[in-house]
Amino acid sequence: MLVVDRIGKTYPNGVRALDGISLNVAPGEILVVIGGSGCGKSTMLRAISGLDTPSQGKVVLDGMVITAPHEQIGIIFQEPRLLPWLRVADNVGFGLEQCPKEERNARVARALERVGLADKARVWPRELSGGQAQRVAIVRALVPRPQVLLLDEPFSALDAFTRADLQDHLLDLWADSKPTLIVVTHDVEEAIVLADRIMVMRPHPGRVYEEILCDLPRPRDRQSAAFDFVKRRVLAALDRSLERAVITDDGETRAAAGGGLWW
Amino acid sequence: MSLVSMTASVEPAEVAPAPSSASVARAGSGRLLRPALGLLLPVAVAVSWELAVRHGFASGRLVPPPSVIFQTFADLARTGELELHAGATLSRVIAGFAFGVVAGTVLGAITGYSALTNRLVDPTLQALRAIPSIAWVPLFILWFGIFEASKIILIAVGVFFPVYLGVMGAVMSVDRKIVEVGRAFRLSGTAMVRRILLPAVMPAYVISLRAGMGLGWMFVVAAEFMGASTGLGFLLIDGQQLGKPAQIVAAIVAFAILGKATDWLIVLLSAPFLRWEDRFARV
Repeated sequence: MLVVDRIGKTYPNGVRALDGISLNVAPGEILVVIGGSGCGKSTMLRAISGLDTPSQGKVVLDGMVITAPHEQIGIIFQEPRLLPWLRVADNVGFGLEQCPKEERNARVARALERVGLADKARVWPRELSGGQAQRVAIVRALVPRPQVLLLDEPFSALDAFTRADLQDHLLDLWADSKPTLIVVTHDVEEAIVLADRIMVMRPHPGRVYEEILCDLPRPRDRQSAAFDFVKRRVLAALDRSLERAVITDDGETRAAAGGGLWW
Repeated sequence: MSLVSMTASVEPAEVAPAPSSASVARAGSGRLLRPALGLLLPVAVAVSWELAVRHGFASGRLVPPPSVIFQTFADLARTGELELHAGATLSRVIAGFAFGVVAGTVLGAITGYSALTNRLVDPTLQALRAIPSIAWVPLFILWFGIFEASKIILIAVGVFFPVYLGVMGAVMSVDRKIVEVGRAFRLSGTAMVRRILLPAVMPAYVISLRAGMGLGWMFVVAAEFMGASTGLGFLLIDGQQLGKPAQIVAAIVAFAILGKATDWLIVLLSAPFLRWEDRFARV
């Protein structure tokens, strides 16, 4: 169980990015965090990963307080961030340095096979397409078998077709070992395709605005009426979260701006 | 030359898109022809000068024709003089290069990595860098004597600065995002250096080594001008004082060959570490 306990983050310049976020994420749950820009989604994710320390509060995984990157927590960024001097297979095996060589090779080969990149094992990262590179990044984070995988807008730099493809890949891989996933996104459809639960955040400072359960049967059909129903609920929540943020932010009534297409 | 490559390049396109023997042969001849292209200009100049002197258009006394230079070069080689002088110069460059590279790498890595050390040390080093290194010569002679020590130190100083600057800049500009990947995988300090920082700075490091080697060759001449009884620099001075331009040019040719060879050696030895680079130019 991952417990986020009232974490806040204030930057040295006085900007409050996060204000008392609390949440519990069950093992194997897929939590999608969505919200307008500046609502602290990424800040929260980085605090959970241990890459940044929160100013207040704490992150606890199975009773251990997380203060630095932890072997049970993997993270995937918006960019693949593959190491350009390592071939694809060595990138995937990057987190398995401690592993005996044979086991490492076997696990890397299996992982690459799983995402359809077995033939790219000996290739340099620069020779991959954006979608392929992000697939490699995903298996690189998954190969050490973390309990929790954090994804910070992992598909936002990809075209719509590749994005849908990678969402399927991600769900596929998740089904293998059922890690806890926390996905930050600003794409409502992506949120509904992936999530068991959607957490809508509101900005200035970042807070939890609303939680929406998303228990549609998998695999999810983007065309279905039920999908559309959830989508409208999430959009409405986002609109409301932004309206209120605008009012509280500078005291003026700029509520009309809430309907803007900020994503 | 161009005719051969043209006809060869037309063929495989017409025959088959698959890797045919013709396209392999074309790649092979291309690999031989491309360096040859670079020889065209110097060879043309040399041949015309040779012809000009042979036919009496020029005396060739101050600018000896290639045949005379070659003869001088061969004589120097036959008497063992060339080996002696080139060997002396080469060993000075290698010793100075080694010291300069070690000092430049260590200090560059530390000042690149630690902001505090950078603030402490870098301004002084930058001030020293502003001094033309030849200006140290009189002081070095006073301090270290006229023999090998002062020469090697002068070369080391010349090699030090490009290596120091290159390493410092490379370490400082390592992509924060890549370093973060290392952190996410919980790399220790040494593992971070070995697995992230070293490979990341490698391309810039090789360039700074090549620049350092170039300066090493420059400074060895200065060092040998300030009083040496051996070395290619001595051959230069000797040629000037005894009015032997062919000997001067022969020594210059030796410099060119050695300089190119050492540069090529660095490129060759570093190539396996740089194959991953996404480069504009393919050498």
